[in-house]
Amino acid sequence: MTTRASSEGHPALSDQDWGFATVDQKPEIYNPQPSRMFYVYLAMPAVLLLAAITIYPFLWLIYMSFHKVGFGNASDVFVGVKNFARLFNDSKYLQGWGLLLKYSAICLSIQVVAGVSLAVILNNSRHEKILVTLFLMPMMVSPVVAGLLFYYLYNGTFGWYHWIFQSLGILDETSILGSADTALYGIILVDVWQWTPLITLITLAGLKRVPQDQLEANMVDGAGSISNFFHVSLPNIYPFLLIAVLLRFMDNFRFIDAILALTGGGPGNATRLLPVYLFDVSFKFFKLGRGGAIALTLLIVTIILGMILVKVLEDPARKKALSGDTDG
Amino acid sequence: MFYVPKNAVYKTVSRRKFLELGGGGVASLGLGSLVVGLSTVISRRPVQAQSSLDAKWKQYEGSKLVFMSENTPPSFAIRDKIQEFYKLTGIEIEIITDGLPSVQQKVGIDLQSGNADFPISYVQDKPIGSPFADFYADLTSLIGDETLPQDPEGYGDGVWFENFLDACGRFYDRDRLIALPYDAAVACTFFRQDIYEQNTKDFEAEYGYRMEFNENSTWKNVYDFAEFLKRKRDAGADVPYGYAQHQGSFAWTTQLDVQRMFFAHGRWLDWEIDDKLGSKSPPPSNWGDEQSVFLMQKFKEQADVCHPDNLANGTLELNTVYQSGNIAMQVQYHEFAASIEDEKTSKAAGGRTAYAPCPKGEASWILNGGPAVNGTNCGVGGIGINGNASEDVQRAAYLFCVYATSGAIQFDVLTGLGGTPTRKSVMDMPGVADARKRPSSMPNALTFDAVYDIGIKDPNFVLGPKVPEANEYHTIMAAETQRCLSEEISAEEACNNIKSQIDNLH
Repeated sequence: MTTRASSEGHPALSDQDWGFATVDQKPEIYNPQPSRMFYVYLAMPAVLLLAAITIYPFLWLIYMSFHKVGFGNASDVFVGVKNFARLFNDSKYLQGWGLLLKYSAICLSIQVVAGVSLAVILNNSRHEKILVTLFLMPMMVSPVVAGLLFYYLYNGTFGWYHWIFQSLGILDETSILGSADTALYGIILVDVWQWTPLITLITLAGLKRVPQDQLEANMVDGAGSISNFFHVSLPNIYPFLLIAVLLRFMDNFRFIDAILALTGGGPGNATRLLPVYLFDVSFKFFKLGRGGAIALTLLIVTIILGMILVKVLEDPARKKALSGDTDG
Repeated sequence: MFYVPKNAVYKTVSRRKFLELGGGGVASLGLGSLVVGLSTVISRRPVQAQSSLDAKWKQYEGSKLVFMSENTPPSFAIRDKIQEFYKLTGIEIEIITDGLPSVQQKVGIDLQSGNADFPISYVQDKPIGSPFADFYADLTSLIGDETLPQDPEGYGDGVWFENFLDACGRFYDRDRLIALPYDAAVACTFFRQDIYEQNTKDFEAEYGYRMEFNENSTWKNVYDFAEFLKRKRDAGADVPYGYAQHQGSFAWTTQLDVQRMFFAHGRWLDWEIDDKLGSKSPPPSNWGDEQSVFLMQKFKEQADVCHPDNLANGTLELNTVYQSGNIAMQVQYHEFAASIEDEKTSKAAGGRTAYAPCPKGEASWILNGGPAVNGTNCGVGGIGINGNASEDVQRAAYLFCVYATSGAIQFDVLTGLGGTPTRKSVMDMPGVADARKRPSSMPNALTFDAVYDIGIKDPNFVLGPKVPEANEYHTIMAAETQRCLSEEISAEEACNNIKSQIDNLH
């Protein structure tokens, strides 16, 4: 048996010795260099499927946003940028943005702090597996069911949560959804209840990969557990946290199900976040052109904010490495 | 991969073959379920005008249709009796029920996209009829078709309760009929006569008149009752709140709540259009005028003395608040009487609740002239046929419409689940007249005096506004009203905001 690596002609392999034995004899049907088209053909079904389910609707969205979409016998009318121009005078659209940003910022802050704290507590705890399973249960409930569940829990007549809030003196007889001042917080609570476990789960995965030797070395140097977390664990779970924050951020920007079940956007416009307004315009008023324009702006802003978020939260170590600063 | 005993006898299935079989199976199941499970199936046996009635009912035997409806008592009752319809016609009907907002969206998408996944659907007058009227089939030709079985009572205005055919069947064009009245929710006043009797002495000492409610009681009286009970409650007395409004998440119910009070005062309308037919191009609205600002202020004052959770309560929740004994009065739809009279779930049952027409306008609150009336509105749910469906599907669907709106079915629903009849003939059926008085075996009948004898008759009844952008109008109106009740904006700002937004809708 020869011990020399053989990689003649194959672009993926170099001539270096890989350290393990390979067989010299090639099979009879062996194409050492498949043509580029071979890969294109392989990828084609997936690309076509992807195009059908994502690119086509996206192009159609762009088309709609520049038209007044007609139904039945009525044909579509090209209106240029009128649908977009109208948005700047639409108070509900502008207010929807404000509410969405407020909601998203509060949700993310609470979820990150609570999710990471929970993960740290759960990590290597005595009943970790059972507790993780229990904490993950809210995530398995569909958002609309979560909305309906809290709708009953918040109810001013028979809701259990309302009774607790009232007993603690947080609320009077007005339920959390019955006031424009508190309704948004009622919705935030549902989101926090349902999606904090996701942050916990991802962070927990990150914590499992924190090198024990670094933790031990730090402790030998006299560091306590808090110092250990901030100086060793946190830098190590940073990439995981970034993924979690990014996922939740994008989810928040399309959050609608629970709001529709809880308030429908009210009282007044107090919970009419932009995605809710988009739903109203598109599927209650059937103004698909205007809805297309709202959706497109929402999509573009989500992408831009997502990129900014990645930039801001990028792993400092990686950032340093990319900028060429290797001094330490 | 798997352990195979030596010398085992088995047939080899290659991986490729396995994938082919699996893929084929999945595709067949998917397509099969789409074709058989979701779509309409139609088969026809030709009949003549001279054919027997049985042959006419059975001409589409073997067909399958889908009926998309709101989750109301008639739909549940018809689902229970669907075997009876199958025996009569041989047509299989799949009844899908959902909340009204979902029905509105699903039906709207189906109709406007040119599909006919729901050949038969629930036509709730304003939320579904107003925006989608043009997409429904005109029933007038089917009504006159001698090759189809017809209801012996007919379908003219006279066989239905006053205004019902106009409410759900006619939109923008008097000669087109898009739906037959199937069920009705008409507003009337539910009040706790026991609480009124207990408090009338104290009330009279303060306000100078008895704490009673009847067809001449006004919105000013409603305010006085609510204000009196709230004050008493705040002072520690064990009394419920006096009143609560319909707000909550479904905008239409808030619009109806405001409309009742506004119409009661000089028959004020949002737009100067034919209230029964509506208009596709309404003129500038009346919102922002002196009368509307004044009444919005009164509506706000009334909200201030209501149950504190006023803004969270939609129609169903409001009824729960009343059932639980937390308010002494609600203006509610007469289909809810059955739930109020259920002693297992309601503290207001057992003769504690009395029913009266909606409150009358207060003469001193009418600024623009016009009469004070018992402003009453409704949601009359029709049953209509998708205009995109083929002629045969429309004819088969019509058989179901005839069956579902017949007097006999309506009587069954009234006696069984607590329905709300739309045909006058039901009033003459056995036991219905007696049920209008206590003790009643058909609790909804306790409201019939208030609803059918007074509420739905002119000049009290308001049907509209029937405008194509009704749903956006309801949303705008509800949002601005709720902002006013939350003290975010003034009554005048609310009215002006409504005007500026709705005048650009059409």
